[in-house]
Amino acid sequence: MSAAIVSVSPWQRLWGAYVRWTARYPALASLVPFVPVVVLWAAVAQSGLFPPVFFPGPVEVVQKFGTLMANGILPAYLEDSVIRLAAGTAVGLALGIPLGLLVGLSDRAHRALWPVLLFFQAIGDIAWLPILLIWFGFGLTTMIFVIVYTVLFPVVLNTVLGVRSVPLELHRAALSLGASKARVVWEVVLPGALPNVMTGLRNGLGFGWRALIAAEIIVGTSGIGFLMFDARRAGSVVEILLGMIVLGVLWYLVDSWVLAPIERATGERWGLVTRKE
Amino acid sequence: MKSLTIEHLQKTYFDPFANKQVTAIRDISLTVDAGDFVAVVGPSGCGKTTMLNLIAGFLAPTGGQIRVDGRAVSGPGPDRGVVFQSFALFPWRTVLDNVAFGPKMRGVPKAQRHEIAHEYLALAGLAHAAERYPNELSGGMQQRVGVVRALANEPDVLLMDEPFASVDAQTRMTLQEELTRIWEQRRSTVVFITHDVNEAVFLANRVVVLSHGAVLDDIAVDLARPRAWDALIDDAAFKALAAKVLQQVRAA
Repeated sequence: MSAAIVSVSPWQRLWGAYVRWTARYPALASLVPFVPVVVLWAAVAQSGLFPPVFFPGPVEVVQKFGTLMANGILPAYLEDSVIRLAAGTAVGLALGIPLGLLVGLSDRAHRALWPVLLFFQAIGDIAWLPILLIWFGFGLTTMIFVIVYTVLFPVVLNTVLGVRSVPLELHRAALSLGASKARVVWEVVLPGALPNVMTGLRNGLGFGWRALIAAEIIVGTSGIGFLMFDARRAGSVVEILLGMIVLGVLWYLVDSWVLAPIERATGERWGLVTRKE
Repeated sequence: MKSLTIEHLQKTYFDPFANKQVTAIRDISLTVDAGDFVAVVGPSGCGKTTMLNLIAGFLAPTGGQIRVDGRAVSGPGPDRGVVFQSFALFPWRTVLDNVAFGPKMRGVPKAQRHEIAHEYLALAGLAHAAERYPNELSGGMQQRVGVVRALANEPDVLLMDEPFASVDAQTRMTLQEELTRIWEQRRSTVVFITHDVNEAVFLANRVVVLSHGAVLDDIAVDLARPRAWDALIDDAAFKALAAKVLQQVRAA
């Protein structure tokens, strides 16, 4: 074949530009795919197919966002929800990682506790709400209990998997280099289990976030879940949509600002998990 | 460097599915003098890896005794450094911190243990790789780190379990030559497990052949040092020894 000059099509030109720009500004890669979604949403809202009260467009939601930010309701509710989630997650991790280490390291603990853990994991978080409401009433205790419960199980189960995935040779290497058994837990088992602990945390946070919204809807006096349910009472679809979008955005931020950087600095750096594109 | 004594070593397992005892080590007695290099060869299932795991203290013997410098072995300890076939480097530590791990467990302060690690890395030509993570290195380089990590802890006895079995043939020869060079300088006490007869004869002063959990033969290797493959590959004495060992292994 001769060295024919093959022209670049306009589509390739556009695609090339997109690839180059997203490489330079990674945030673009996460924003651009939403453009068609928002456009479609605006188009359906504009078409007049549904009454605007039932199906508001993006502009109304953004306006509502402005008002709720200005009068301080949204920041206050957001703060309540995030603090509840953070507190519940912290307690869930503080209980879940040691329990996972115990069950992962001790054969006896594994035999005794594993079936029990699977059983309680299967009882969904929200299924606890009726009895929790009787025990603790409509308050913070109930909400924290639900979040801790939801975060705990994915963390425990994944920590156990992580602990058991650490090769026997690494235990042996550390011991023959003079590490005590306690030192092996700190130097070998914990870092070896970390990628799985992160998976557990990611699942736990995802479930915990959903559980929180459900708990706020039923129990709440504040928070994003309460905002949405309260809006239903007032018949404000705009506010409900806003709440839904806030939930999605918040999850996205937690994932890309907290979880992903930790994963890049640990498991992916060490070659324990394959790098995500 | 201290000597290693093994007396009437025995190891049996209970197999709950067969519901009977299985013998891995029938009866092994062996003395490795301080500063000696002993290779242990034998067919699969002869008990050579079990023997190493017993010496390392990863397994407990069901009979007999193992002593290092007169002290009875009970469990793993830093007096017996181990080099693993799977390298067993800590993936979350840099090469430098892998090598500094033993000194760290001994409580050596950071600056000092890094100095030790740098020194040993230089010994194996790895100075440039100090800040890298194990997964960024080739297999041959990872095993150099494995050897150096064990050496940096200054064990009385160095136990090597088929350390070069999982690298390519060319790299293996290089690693063997590097190991003899380091050993000739330092004269550590080494027990080297392998199924490769040429490797055993090339490296060791003595080759012990195991068969069915017992010592079948103990062959002295009186080849001159320093040893290099270029000279030995066609050497009549080397070939005769290798043939002799091979014959015993095949008879085992």
